[in-house]
Amino acid sequence: MSDNIEIDPGAARESGLVTTDSFDNLERMSSSLDEIKSTNAISQSEESNDNANIEQLDESTNYVKDSTEENEIEVSREWTSKSKHIFVLSQAGKPIYSRYGNEDKLAWLFGVMQTLVSFVQSSDDTIKSIHAGDTHFVFLIKKPLILVAVHKTQESEQQIVTQLNYVFNQITSILTLTRLKKIYEQRQNYDLRRLLTGVERLIDHLLDFSEKDPSFFLGAVQCLPLTSSVRDSISSAIIAACNKIKNLVFAILLANNKLITLVRMKKYCLHPADLHLIFNLVQASESLKNSESWTPLCLPKFDASGFLYGHVSYLAEDCQACLLLLTVDRDVFFTLSEAKQRIVERLRRGNSLEAINEALVSSDANWNGAGFPELRHYIYKSKSTAQFYQPPIGPPYSLRPRRLIDVYKRSHQRLHSSTRPLKLAFERSASEAVLAWDTRGFELYATFEPLTSTAAIIASVGKLLDWVKKREDKLFCLNAPTF
Amino acid sequence: MAPKVMLLGDSGVGKTCILMRFREGRFLAGNFISTVGVDFRTKVVSIDETKVKLQIWDTAGQERFRSVTHAYYRDAHALLLLYDVTNKTSFDNIRAWLGEIKEYAQDDVVIMLLGNKADCGSERAVRREEGERLAREYNVAFMETSAKSGQNVELAFMAVARELKYRQSGQRDTNKFSVQDYVREKQNGKSSQPFTQQQQCPQCNTN
Repeated sequence: MSDNIEIDPGAARESGLVTTDSFDNLERMSSSLDEIKSTNAISQSEESNDNANIEQLDESTNYVKDSTEENEIEVSREWTSKSKHIFVLSQAGKPIYSRYGNEDKLAWLFGVMQTLVSFVQSSDDTIKSIHAGDTHFVFLIKKPLILVAVHKTQESEQQIVTQLNYVFNQITSILTLTRLKKIYEQRQNYDLRRLLTGVERLIDHLLDFSEKDPSFFLGAVQCLPLTSSVRDSISSAIIAACNKIKNLVFAILLANNKLITLVRMKKYCLHPADLHLIFNLVQASESLKNSESWTPLCLPKFDASGFLYGHVSYLAEDCQACLLLLTVDRDVFFTLSEAKQRIVERLRRGNSLEAINEALVSSDANWNGAGFPELRHYIYKSKSTAQFYQPPIGPPYSLRPRRLIDVYKRSHQRLHSSTRPLKLAFERSASEAVLAWDTRGFELYATFEPLTSTAAIIASVGKLLDWVKKREDKLFCLNAPTF
Repeated sequence: MAPKVMLLGDSGVGKTCILMRFREGRFLAGNFISTVGVDFRTKVVSIDETKVKLQIWDTAGQERFRSVTHAYYRDAHALLLLYDVTNKTSFDNIRAWLGEIKEYAQDDVVIMLLGNKADCGSERAVRREEGERLAREYNVAFMETSAKSGQNVELAFMAVARELKYRQSGQRDTNKFSVQDYVREKQNGKSSQPFTQQQQCPQCNTN
């Protein structure tokens, strides 16, 4: 393994990101939060506050359904023609979320879904999917919720389940798993939408985001290309401003869905799936742009049982990078607000703000001139750091980038199929030639002109790896700085 | 001196909009921008030629954020509690909000009740008298505002700022400045000008 680390581009011995591939297991909840709190001898009395809230949940909900008229069944043509529906319901069959249409009007449909799940459950089994022609029904049972996808896409069941897991994690991130479970222990019939006002927007955004961004199926994060000296000086500015602050767990700087740097508390790493939720929150929340915000945030992979508290702000009017300072203390807004000011001052003095802005506007277009005339696009994922790099999507995919993503999704699926995983997959169609390669250290997905010869492709791939290796300092965060 | 003011009320009543109107003089038209957790902003105002820096906490109305907002109640010197005059539920919830305030905020906190979206026209669901009555019952100041037209927005913040300034400079006992009186005075004093409640919002009286 150590040999590989020397060779593979973008590899590093230590990573601030968790690099396991497992996606689903929240059941093995870590107790990172407790650990941090107790090592710093912080009183845990605040925990009781969260619990107290639950008792206040009274059923004076506004969601009284007015009638059960048959006509309310909403099956417009537009609705049925959607390529992927996503539904979330409680074990009792109460609607929680529907990607399209008003979930109240779809109550009948949620009833059907709940019946299917419980019918199979009654024979001690679990329903996974139903396939009817080109329509697929995929079920994910994550107690206390049921998530269902109904789709006509080419995606595999595994990929759909990953997406449903993200939806579940999004809900967990708002409420914590502990609270979610407790709510339904106390009242099976609870209408969860009461606590999720405004979250549908986050879920909508997450679904679109996860369908058009490769980071989700890759389980990795893309970094903003910066020379390593700039990135290091940004990290040290953050460390210098924050290293005296107790209980600060993560400092995350990101821009345009790309990671600039991640500084962490020793011993703790961030899972890419948690980072994706953070990217989603930042991108979907306009309101963060105008002020400093303070918000509770549960990172389900990090610790699904409790909240971190985040100071969220953009660096400056003239630099649209978003800084998140995540702590376990719920009342240190001003401490972190001051730390943020210090960080910005340091970054400004070191001209880092300009460097970030430059990186944001430079489209990194010169890669195409680097001697790969037939290479249209590629994705390189470094496994040991859970990071990937892709150049901007250009012609002929500029207008329909989703098509390219779908091509990659299919290749990814072939490499990672649970029944017959491949190490190397090559596919030539009328529109492109795609090579997908899974090694111990990296995954590579490369799209070529459809008529490129195999020999030329192999030569290109070799050259491409050298090229990524040469620029790895810039394309990846190779250090995993700590406070 | 940096008094802390907090905006409270149900989701969607216009807390962020009223703050934007006050700070930047513009109305956030279009999409509903939901606040995440608590937003922090400042604004410097001058009162009797003294500069006062207001620290303003804009809170998310959703129930799930309550545990975070509670932590900030006790530091607040003044609370602007909003409901939406077109949304009866948001008005009905005011009693619950006042209960929470009583539980978490300091005893001497300045409270002002605001019925927002007063420019609403025929969509109105809460009459002004109802707001006034509730305010009297709890002995808090009251006015109707509109972030869209700007009606009373400046007045609401300035009245609070003035009250806080008087309190800090210890004039409270001697002068007995009261927000209610101040507001009443300001509104009556200006009745000949076009920016009064009555003229701005005729439907308030027609109900």
